[in-house]
Amino acid sequence: MSTAEQNRRLVRKGSTAELTAKAPKNIGRIHIPDRLLGWIIPVSVLLVWQLLARLGVLPANWLPAPTIVGQTIYQLTVAGDLLKHVGITIARVGVGFLLGASAGTLFGGLTGYLPVARKLLDPTLQALRSVPSIAWVPLFLLWLGIGETSKITLIALGAFFPVYLNLSLAMRHVDPKLLEVGKLYRLSSFQMVRRLILPAALPEYIVGLRSGLGLAWMFVVAAELLGASSGIGYLMVDGEMTGRAGVILASVILFAICGKTTDWMMNAAGRRLLGHRAR
Amino acid sequence: MVNNGFAQRGTVNIEIARKAFSGSKGTLLALKDIVLTINPGEFVCIVGGSGCGKTTLLRIIAGLETEYEGAVFLDGKKLIGTGLDRGVVFQEHRLLSWLTVHDNVAFGLAGLPPQERSRKERSRDIRHYINLVGLDRFEYEYPHQLSGGMSQRVAVARALVGRPEVLLLDEPFASLDALTRMRMQQEILRIWEAERTTVVLVTHDIEEAVYLADRVVIMSPQPGTIRNILPVRLLRPRDRTDREFVRIRKSIHDELFAPRGMTHLAADSF
Ligand SMILES: Nc1ncnc2c1ncn2[C@@H]1O[C@H](COP(=O)(O)OP(=O)(O)OP(=O)(O)O)[C@@H](O)[C@H]1O
Ligand SMILES: [Mg+2]
Repeated sequence: MSTAEQNRRLVRKGSTAELTAKAPKNIGRIHIPDRLLGWIIPVSVLLVWQLLARLGVLPANWLPAPTIVGQTIYQLTVAGDLLKHVGITIARVGVGFLLGASAGTLFGGLTGYLPVARKLLDPTLQALRSVPSIAWVPLFLLWLGIGETSKITLIALGAFFPVYLNLSLAMRHVDPKLLEVGKLYRLSSFQMVRRLILPAALPEYIVGLRSGLGLAWMFVVAAELLGASSGIGYLMVDGEMTGRAGVILASVILFAICGKTTDWMMNAAGRRLLGHRAR
Repeated sequence: MVNNGFAQRGTVNIEIARKAFSGSKGTLLALKDIVLTINPGEFVCIVGGSGCGKTTLLRIIAGLETEYEGAVFLDGKKLIGTGLDRGVVFQEHRLLSWLTVHDNVAFGLAGLPPQERSRKERSRDIRHYINLVGLDRFEYEYPHQLSGGMSQRVAVARALVGRPEVLLLDEPFASLDALTRMRMQQEILRIWEAERTTVVLVTHDIEEAVYLADRVVIMSPQPGTIRNILPVRLLRPRDRTDREFVRIRKSIHDELFAPRGMTHLAADSF
C-alpha cells in the first residue's frame, strides 16, 4: 500500500485506532459495546490511582489523587489566571499554525506543481527538516528575543513541514491516468491545478494539516517550557518550581484536552471538505 | 441530402510509418506501416492479441502519444495533441471520485472556451448525454455508488458531451461481466445510431467486434501491423448465432491464430 493510500484511509476512518475498534468484541460472556471498550483501561487506571493516593501509598506531593488534580483545575480557574493562560497558549498555537501551514501550503503547492521549484527548494528544505526543530531554539532566542516572535516562529516551523511534505508529495503523485483525462479535455494549466490536482491531493493535504497541528501543540509546549511568563507551559514550570505536582498534572491534562479538541475540529472540517469521500 | 456537408465530418486518415518505445531493453517497435482510412460515421473495431499495439494506435489518434513517425488527419486536418473533436473512453472509467455523475459529465466541457457554448446549452447538453446513457436517475450520485457498467456509461457521456466527431474506445467493456457487456454493446450501438459519430473501438473479443463493427481491423504483433480488414455487411441488430455471423467470427479467429508465414504468403500473392 502506498503512503498516499494509507493517508487516504487515515482521513476516511479518522484514525487507525478507530479501525481496530470497529469489530464487535466479546470478552467472556459479557457483551461490551465497542465505544466503551476504549474506556476500560483509562477508567481502571484512574480508579487504582485514586485508591492508591487515598491509601497514602502514593505521596501527595509526588502524585496527587485525580480528585485533587480536578480541584486544582477548578481553583486555578476560579482564581482567574487559568483561562488567561489557556487562551494565550491557544492563541500562540493558532497564529503559529496559521503561519506555518500557510507557508507549507505555498511551498508545497509550488514544489508539487513545478518540477523546477522542487529541484530548487526541496534539497534545502529537506536539509532544514533533518535538524531536530528544538535545536533551533537557542538561535531563535538569540535572534528574536524571548518574546512572542520566537515562540510563534518555532510553532510555525513545527507546523510547516508536515503540510509542506504532504501537499508537495500528493500533488506529484496524482494518478497520471486522471491527468490524461484533463489533457484529453484540454484543460488549461490553471484548470488542471484547480479541477484535478488540488482535489486529488486534498485528502493527503488534510492529513498534513492534522499532523502540522499536532506538531504545533508539541512545539508550544517546548516554547513555553523554555521561557515564558504565561501559557499552560508556564503554569507547568511554575508548578515544578513551587513543587506543586497537582498544577503540573493539571497542565498536562489541559494540553491533552486542547490538543484533542483542535484535532477533532480539524478532522471535522476535513471531513466536511472531503464531502462524500470521507465516508 | 440535407446533411451533405455535415455527413463528411469524422473522416480519419491514419498514416503511421513507425511508432517505437525506447525502454531499458532497447527500443520496441510498437507500430509499423499503419495505413487506414475511417469513413465518417463508420463503426470500426480493432482486434488483435495482447501487445500488438491497439492501445498505442488509439492513443495516437487521441493525441496522447505524440512521438511517432507519420501523421493522423481528421477531416483532412493534421492532428496535433488532444482535442475536443475526439472523445475517449478507456478500459477503466477514469471518473473523478470527488464529482457527481453530473459534474463528471460536465468535466467533458471544462476545456471548451466560454464563448463556444452558452451556459444554457451546456447544461442542456449535459442532461442530454446523461439521459442518452440512461443515467438520469443517478445524476447526483458519486462514482463509488455506481456499478462498473454505470461508470462506463458516465465515461461515455463525458466523452460525447463535447460533441466529438470521433469516439475512441479502448476495451471499454472488458472489465464488465458477460451480461452487462452484452447490454453495453447494444447501448453503444444505440448511442452511435443516435449520434452518428465515427467510432473506433478496440477489443479482445472477436464476437464483440463482429457484433458492432462495419469493418473489423485485425492487427498482428511485433511489430504491430494491420494484418487484414474485414467488412461485416450484416444488418443490425445482429444475431450472434446467425450463420454468416459465425462464419465471419471464425475467419477472424483463424486469421488471428494462423501461423505468421501463411499471411505473408497470402499477402505476397496479392
Ligand atoms: N509507454 C510505453 N512504454 C514502453 N512500451 C510500451 C508503452 N506502451 C506500450 N508499450 C509496448 O508497446 C507494445 C504495444 O502495446 P499496446 O498497449 O498498444 O498493446 P495492446 O494491443 O493494447 O495490448 P493489450 O491488448 O494487452 O491491451 C507492447 O509491447 C507494449 O509493451
Ligand atoms: Mg491495450
